[in-house]
Amino acid sequence: MVLSMENTQDIFDPKPKKFIVWLFVVSSTIMFGGFTSYYLVFAASKGKGHGLVLPDAFIYSTLLIIASSITLTIASVALRKLNFSLQRKMLWLTIVLAFGFGFMQFMAWGSMVKTGATLVGNNAAISFIYVVPLMHLFHIIAGLGFITSSLVGSYKNITLAKNKFRMEITSIFWHFIDILWIYLYVFLLLNR
Amino acid sequence: MSTIALHDEHNHDHADHGHHKETLISKYIFSMDHKMIAKQFLVTGIIMAVIAMGLSILFRIQLAWPDKNFPFLETFLGKWAEGGRIKSDFYLALVTIHGTIMVFFVLTAGLSGTFSNLLIPLQIGARDMASPFLNMLSYWFFFTACVIMMSSFFIQTGPASGGWTVYPPLSALPTAIPGSGMGMTLWLISMVLFVASSLMGGINYVSTILNMRTKGMDLWKMPLTIWAFFLTAILGILSFPVLVAGVVLLVFDRSFGTSFYLSDIVMGTNILPNEGGSPILWQHLFWFLGHPEVYIVIMPALGISSEVISVNSRKPIFGYHAMVYSLIGITVLSFIVWGHHMFVTGMNPLLGGVFMITTLIIAVPSAVKTFNYLATLWRGNIRFTPAMLFAIGLVSFFISGGLTGIFLGNASLDINLHDTYFVVAHFHLVMGSAAIFGMLAGVYHWYPKMFGRMMNAKLGYLHFWLTFIAAYLVFFPLHFLGLDGVPRRYYAFTEFEFMKKWLTVNVFVTWAAIIAALAQVAFLFNFFYSIYKGKKAPQNPWESNTLEWTAPVEHLHGNWPGEIPTVYRWPYDYSKPGHDADFIPQTVPFSQTMSSNLPHDFEGNEEAEKIQQDWEIANPVTENKG
Repeated sequence: MVLSMENTQDIFDPKPKKFIVWLFVVSSTIMFGGFTSYYLVFAASKGKGHGLVLPDAFIYSTLLIIASSITLTIASVALRKLNFSLQRKMLWLTIVLAFGFGFMQFMAWGSMVKTGATLVGNNAAISFIYVVPLMHLFHIIAGLGFITSSLVGSYKNITLAKNKFRMEITSIFWHFIDILWIYLYVFLLLNR
Repeated sequence: MSTIALHDEHNHDHADHGHHKETLISKYIFSMDHKMIAKQFLVTGIIMAVIAMGLSILFRIQLAWPDKNFPFLETFLGKWAEGGRIKSDFYLALVTIHGTIMVFFVLTAGLSGTFSNLLIPLQIGARDMASPFLNMLSYWFFFTACVIMMSSFFIQTGPASGGWTVYPPLSALPTAIPGSGMGMTLWLISMVLFVASSLMGGINYVSTILNMRTKGMDLWKMPLTIWAFFLTAILGILSFPVLVAGVVLLVFDRSFGTSFYLSDIVMGTNILPNEGGSPILWQHLFWFLGHPEVYIVIMPALGISSEVISVNSRKPIFGYHAMVYSLIGITVLSFIVWGHHMFVTGMNPLLGGVFMITTLIIAVPSAVKTFNYLATLWRGNIRFTPAMLFAIGLVSFFISGGLTGIFLGNASLDINLHDTYFVVAHFHLVMGSAAIFGMLAGVYHWYPKMFGRMMNAKLGYLHFWLTFIAAYLVFFPLHFLGLDGVPRRYYAFTEFEFMKKWLTVNVFVTWAAIIAALAQVAFLFNFFYSIYKGKKAPQNPWESNTLEWTAPVEHLHGNWPGEIPTVYRWPYDYSKPGHDADFIPQTVPFSQTMSSNLPHDFEGNEEAEKIQQDWEIANPVTENKG
């Protein structure tokens, strides 16, 4: 009896909450699936895509977000080894890289505007390059929220289990939006 | 004795841990308890249903008496009914908002929100949802969405008027019709909040069901309600995001001048600059959500009926596994049928043929479910509680509405029937009335669990019969209008010679609708009166097997004092031969029911089978047992 009582005690169980993050990842994937299928059907029915050479800034933003995933992984490993100061440093670095990513996205849009490929025009496929990466950028903002919570958790005196939990959901989400951007970029490269 | 002491200690711990000081606000308003959130969803859903029903009566009055003046309408509606006659613009707003509220706010949030929240933790044996906080947020997003949607009645240009499917260009050009302006903007804001609410709810339901079941509750021991809520939530997670994608592009078309859905448009003498988009693409994105949405509406109702019919037939549900597999079948198929809403958009006939086949295949799992309901009723020891009547009513509507689905799913027949009253009749029976009846069955059945009191059965019978008959009288004649080619969403049929003969039918339908609306007074009175004055509910009023009836009548945060009960058997052991009572709750182990155990109960556990065999040898069966 005593044994089973212990099982029912309300100890912190991260599993259901982690699962929630995964489900969010699924639903977000579906949303971008919706966007890209819009693009495919549009391109197929009109016989044209965006027809642009994508600005170089997108290459740099891609490199930055990949780098941010690497720093976040190092932060996770650091936490596993209980090296909190490295964890914090790497989280800060991830935030800086994320801002760099956002900056590069705006640079890319800026150079598109200069070439005349503006948001409003007669080709919805070009508008797509503004709208969909913008939606992705909103995800980056949400991701920054996760990173901040990990960072706050690392500075504040929360239990190791909770600290690890925050790092884990941050990692799930951040790697997802990293892969999501790579998908969008490759998609736009392949469907000109 | 020591065990009891431990329980109490645990209780104490839990109370400290779960809710520090329960204030009025934390208990009734920003509650994180799934049972309170369920009640919040239900009451909000009922209020929205009453509003949407009121709207339908208004446009039914217009349809029945297009040439008559009703001064009271001007009193209520002001300039929208000048001279006592509803304006055509406002008529379109009425049908649009009626549809939106009924489909999304009543039958999605009101139905799933109420019963998933109430029953998932209680029936799988969990203390609460995976994230009670998200759950609370889900309700408040829903509530805000309702308020914003209703606020569009208080603006100069009126609510959105392009139909609940908000097709562009009416939805994409703010100056197209009055309802395309501010009203449409509010519609979009409201729907974004609503989708966020649905996703938070759905994600929570799935995570809770997969991760937080009590000991012994494997997937195949879950009640069919839980299966239905689970698959409904999955449908929502996989389809609502696509609507968001569509809405984002629509917002850009409306507010920033892009042309995702717009091309070659002339307004008055004004040629719009938009070029290159296609409104058909909105239809694809919308119906990719829209069709799963109708299953989001009906599946929880089907799950509730399965439970109610089995309990009140005092028989195991017929074909439990088939019921689950047909729900899974419906879930999967619902994603590949959206094109049947678009047969007349100029779709490639070959593609139309594909969508036709997938659509008609859905008839198979639907029919499996229907026959299983009938087979469960067959020779059952039926208790006609109000909940049971409503569940049977659902089966009736599901059959009569489902049959016309086979007509509409046929691409060539749909050319004639598209956008006529035949479609209106079809979906009001199969997803409107059927889902509402499922919801009402749930309300009558789980009312004791929600409020600790019983509803009045006599008022329930009155409510059922009036609603059931009136619903058929409203929707059945509409099939014939549709077959004759009478189009839906028209303000008046006085201008068309061939439609004039249907005016008398419209008068009849409107009277039936008014009776149906009045019948709801019996329900509303019963519902709110019984919260305070109803008969006190016993622990297990319907002698049901599922876990929620083992929790105390008085609600407490955490659902069960002490340990969460362990589950030993499936939920449908009703009238099991050899057992003295006609129900065996899921918490009763097989060791206590030796006289009724069957070989397959042990799922191949040889040791248990041997114990059973030894017992049977020691206790030979007497002739008149069972």
